[in-house]
Amino acid sequence: MIQITKKLTGKKYWRSLDQVYQAPEFQDWLNREFPGEAAEMHDEPSRRNILKLMGASFALGGLTACRRPVEHILPFSKGVENFIHGKPLYYNTVMSLGGTAVGLTAETNEGRPTKIEGNPSHGWSLGGTRGYHQASVLSLYDPNRAGVVLNEGKNSDWNAFAGHIQNLQGSFGNGAGLRFLSEPLNSPSFAAVKKHALTRFPAAKWIEYSAIQTNATAQPVIPRIAFDKAAVVVALDSDFLGLDDTSVLAVKEFVRGRKITNEDSPVMNRLYTIEPQFTVTGAAADHRYRIKSSEVGAYASALLSAIQSQSNPLKVVGQGSADKAIAAIAKDLLANRGKSVVVTGPRQPAAVHQIVHQLNQALGNVGPVVTYLKTASEQTRPQIDAFKELAGEMANGQVNTLVIMAWNPAFTAPADLEFEASLKKVANTIYLAQDVDETAAASKWVIPAAHFLESWGDATAPDGTASIQQPTIQPIHDGKSPAELVAAITGYKDQKAYDIVRNYWLPTLSGGEAAWKKALHDGILPAAANTGTTTPTFHTSVASPPAASGFEVLFVPSWSVFDGRFVNNAWLQEAPDPITKLTWDNAALLSPATAKKLGVGLGDVISIERNGRKVEGPVMVQPGQADDTIVIPVGYGRTKVGHVGEGTGFNAYKIRTSDSFGFGTGFNVTKTGRTYPLARTQEFDYQEEPKLIGFQSDVSRPIVREATIEEFKKEPNFANEMVEHPPLRSLYGDYDYSRGQQWAMAIDLNACIGCNACMIACVAENNIGVVGKEQVARGREMHWIRLDRYYTGSVEEPQAVTAPITCMQCETAPCENVCPVAATVHSPEGLNDMVYNRCVGTRYCSNNCPYKVRRFNFLNWHLNEAEVTKMVYNPEVTVRMRGVMEKCTYCVQRIQNAKIQARTENRRWLKDGEVTPACAQACPAECITFGNVNDLESRIAKLKQSPRNYAMLAELNTKPRTTYLAKLRNPNPELQPANAVEEHRG
Amino acid sequence: MALIFPKSTDKYVRIGAGVLGLLALGGGAVAMYIGYPAVIMTGYTPVQPVPYSHKLHAGDLGMDCYYCHYTTNKSSHAAVPQTEVCMNCHTRVKLQSPRLEKVRDSFNTGKPIEWVRVHRLPDYVFFNHQAHVTVGVSCVSCHGRIDQMVEVKQMEPLNMAFCLDCHRNPAPNLRPVEQVTNLAWKPDRDPAAIGREIIQERGINPPQNCSGCHR
Repeated sequence: MIQITKKLTGKKYWRSLDQVYQAPEFQDWLNREFPGEAAEMHDEPSRRNILKLMGASFALGGLTACRRPVEHILPFSKGVENFIHGKPLYYNTVMSLGGTAVGLTAETNEGRPTKIEGNPSHGWSLGGTRGYHQASVLSLYDPNRAGVVLNEGKNSDWNAFAGHIQNLQGSFGNGAGLRFLSEPLNSPSFAAVKKHALTRFPAAKWIEYSAIQTNATAQPVIPRIAFDKAAVVVALDSDFLGLDDTSVLAVKEFVRGRKITNEDSPVMNRLYTIEPQFTVTGAAADHRYRIKSSEVGAYASALLSAIQSQSNPLKVVGQGSADKAIAAIAKDLLANRGKSVVVTGPRQPAAVHQIVHQLNQALGNVGPVVTYLKTASEQTRPQIDAFKELAGEMANGQVNTLVIMAWNPAFTAPADLEFEASLKKVANTIYLAQDVDETAAASKWVIPAAHFLESWGDATAPDGTASIQQPTIQPIHDGKSPAELVAAITGYKDQKAYDIVRNYWLPTLSGGEAAWKKALHDGILPAAANTGTTTPTFHTSVASPPAASGFEVLFVPSWSVFDGRFVNNAWLQEAPDPITKLTWDNAALLSPATAKKLGVGLGDVISIERNGRKVEGPVMVQPGQADDTIVIPVGYGRTKVGHVGEGTGFNAYKIRTSDSFGFGTGFNVTKTGRTYPLARTQEFDYQEEPKLIGFQSDVSRPIVREATIEEFKKEPNFANEMVEHPPLRSLYGDYDYSRGQQWAMAIDLNACIGCNACMIACVAENNIGVVGKEQVARGREMHWIRLDRYYTGSVEEPQAVTAPITCMQCETAPCENVCPVAATVHSPEGLNDMVYNRCVGTRYCSNNCPYKVRRFNFLNWHLNEAEVTKMVYNPEVTVRMRGVMEKCTYCVQRIQNAKIQARTENRRWLKDGEVTPACAQACPAECITFGNVNDLESRIAKLKQSPRNYAMLAELNTKPRTTYLAKLRNPNPELQPANAVEEHRG
Repeated sequence: MALIFPKSTDKYVRIGAGVLGLLALGGGAVAMYIGYPAVIMTGYTPVQPVPYSHKLHAGDLGMDCYYCHYTTNKSSHAAVPQTEVCMNCHTRVKLQSPRLEKVRDSFNTGKPIEWVRVHRLPDYVFFNHQAHVTVGVSCVSCHGRIDQMVEVKQMEPLNMAFCLDCHRNPAPNLRPVEQVTNLAWKPDRDPAAIGREIIQERGINPPQNCSGCHR
């Protein structure tokens, strides 16, 4: 027993939150959580402690068994308006990330925000969310958040800080030594505070900086691309479906052009992706080509000259067949003048953006498809220039007081600026900290930052959609919003976040108080839509990284941690990357050929070096990546971080310099000879088991089915004809499901982009445990819905498909027959019920499930979770303990509650759309449809009639209720056939 | 080798083992009986911090259950009311009563009164009051004649068999919705017949599958 416990608390990795939050008293160590002392939590249990605990549990166990425990009911003393115990309340709010805003609806249970949904009336997100938004509730309850005001590392309080500011204000003078460093501003009320600060201290400067650049034009202009109006989309190193934009408007609009609305005459847009990294945009593409980042400019130029002169320059750029495709792409674009678009990503220098703009102009797309919106930001030069200047001033001692509101610049700043060292030369550094991180350690004053769910604020999306950021809970740690901090320092007229926001907006609203309340209720302000268009100018002075020998390194945001700010969020850490399926770490992604050239494979640690800056990290081989390119998700490898993020990944910022912000050239790579274990959720991979790659090698079992649109026109029923089987007969009698409400789901593979939002929404809704890296490596992750990613085609130029897989709620469920205790049985509404309190953990059901969607609690993942973290639980769902099987239930708690509500209103049937499972609600691509198949007018009943509708593994006679709509691709007939389907079906 | 024990020892050992076995069986049976929810739960009458009498309020004064437990038909929880609800009357009635000391304290300090929970279901049971009272299941079916209780006592076992008995045959426990809080309601004809009419009229079909209550 002792041995097992020892293993659990090993130093290297942690298995679960159990170990992470071992400290018995959260409050006790909250106040002294400065990282130096954090190791206390990892104390190995001594024999003495175990004996003590055993003794105590014997004593207590003996006592409690005698009688029923006394439980208290504590009603409020004074009532709370609108609050009904047991009923959730919903508040509309907004979350800003990466310079853009997504409108959200926060569900609160007994005053605790527990679940985030999208707000469909928000114009820039239309109700879609990403994993970051879904997981933001967990960050709110992160026990490692900055909890107290720190002065030189010692506990202090806000009053002491306010006193300090009083003294300091006199010394500001005209603000010559005063600098503010914030994230890109999209908050109008905060902008007012900023304006006041710069008026009062005219010599002060305000720098906006974000490690993940979102706007390459470097001026207050953002392109608005209406993807739903584009029949042809060419993405040049652009991950517009992925992390280039943390809002989901592009996904919503792109998928609109992707979904088959009329199956008799199907129409689909066509997507070409030319990129170095394998992104989800690449996975969605009809044609995907590889190219080095540094060649994208040349490729765009070649495309431009092919369009202008209508001749093919045949300048050899790109890898594999990329250059050969230029002529066909140009032809396709020309055939779709005014209804096509070329896009490029923020990692590309402004010069490339300029060429892309010229391309769109030449094609007549500027106007019908692309418009340039003026944004509220006052940034008129590249952010990196302003940031460099700040770092220089700090190093020269010209900065007296630096107020930092940007997230952790000591960690994210380009390595050549030596920001962390310069920070120590500033007399007064005031840092608004989410957690006690690298910047906090180097700052004089650390002020806890309020989470967006606990403070007032506002945010505008680029199209002008403005929303009030409405808090849903009192600040847990008395945190401050950035506007409050600056208001206190500069003596703004309002000091409280609520006053700052309200007094900014109230005069602008025509309806006064009533309009304010309506804006809060609706989640959007009646502000005029941003229709002011303009022509962009590009700061081409920002030089592209010079071509150089050696390797190119591409710095990309991480699906899990973004720029590093979500490192301590266990839900995000455990959600696998959509393409690499890697959890809990980042890796240096290499193409198979490059890996072979270097003689390295999965987990081999390589050293990447340039100009004396070096970082070491493990290799992962990524099919379809450009050769001689290393892709590294940034944000990992934090040194001062909470317990979830400790020891995850390596820090790519160490080799990211200001001249290689998006990507850099001329890196040297050496093998170190060491290896590092990586935990992935999907292990099949070209390198290891060539026979198990996706479905292509196993013709008898097409899991994911796809065809080209031309094939579909010829053979609409292709998906169902892919499998031939003898007539299916059940051993058991058939149950009559023709009556009552019969729940079912359809997943449109044509729309799924593989983004993870459904997984994290499911975790939040269903209290799913986090298991940790070591357990993921053992295949014990708990996600009820997973995203399978399969490759097709060659190793160098594969295509990928993603498919959400969850419990299929089989009508003849194989799991049910084998349960010895009837813990999984069928409901008359077609649900495969899972009864946790009956389950004894034989795991026969999981063994017998052909879809492998059942998850077993090998350990008690929730044991010893910090008290504050328990606040995230959904009270409608049991928290499962060790030894219990669990799985997707179609969010049965939502179905039951909707049925009860309908019954109260004396309705027997639910309306279509009255119940939406968490996954379907979160999906930005709207690929999951849920409903009652017996309601013939419902969306689900109609989708089940689609010729593309097929049941996965139907040949096993499982009669799954979840079915899939086969994927279609729309390849250009002039280019080689989309390899996958032809091979497969031939 | 000489015998250490006389031969008759065998007999005593056998009898002893038999007696022990019987005792173990009997003890097991007693333990099971005591552990049975119907036995251990029924009759639970904890002492409450405030000697609130349902008999006085709901019975003698005839206050409706919904006056205090006003979330019952709106939510899964039949919430115990906030102190403010008590003070709606007790700012005028029994102002000085020492028995109301804790209520006044709670109202003045904002601290809750620590009521002791009487009816408790396991955590994995998701019982919903709204679903029951809005279709005509009376409070009395599960809680008994609260209007006659000075101290609240658990009257029914509230175990799964108790729930399922009614879910399988709801008719005897259904009444017109407006009579739900009338604990003394006596129908003028066969209550089961009335129940069957309500089932017919509202299409009542109580779930008997697991996910009806367990999720």
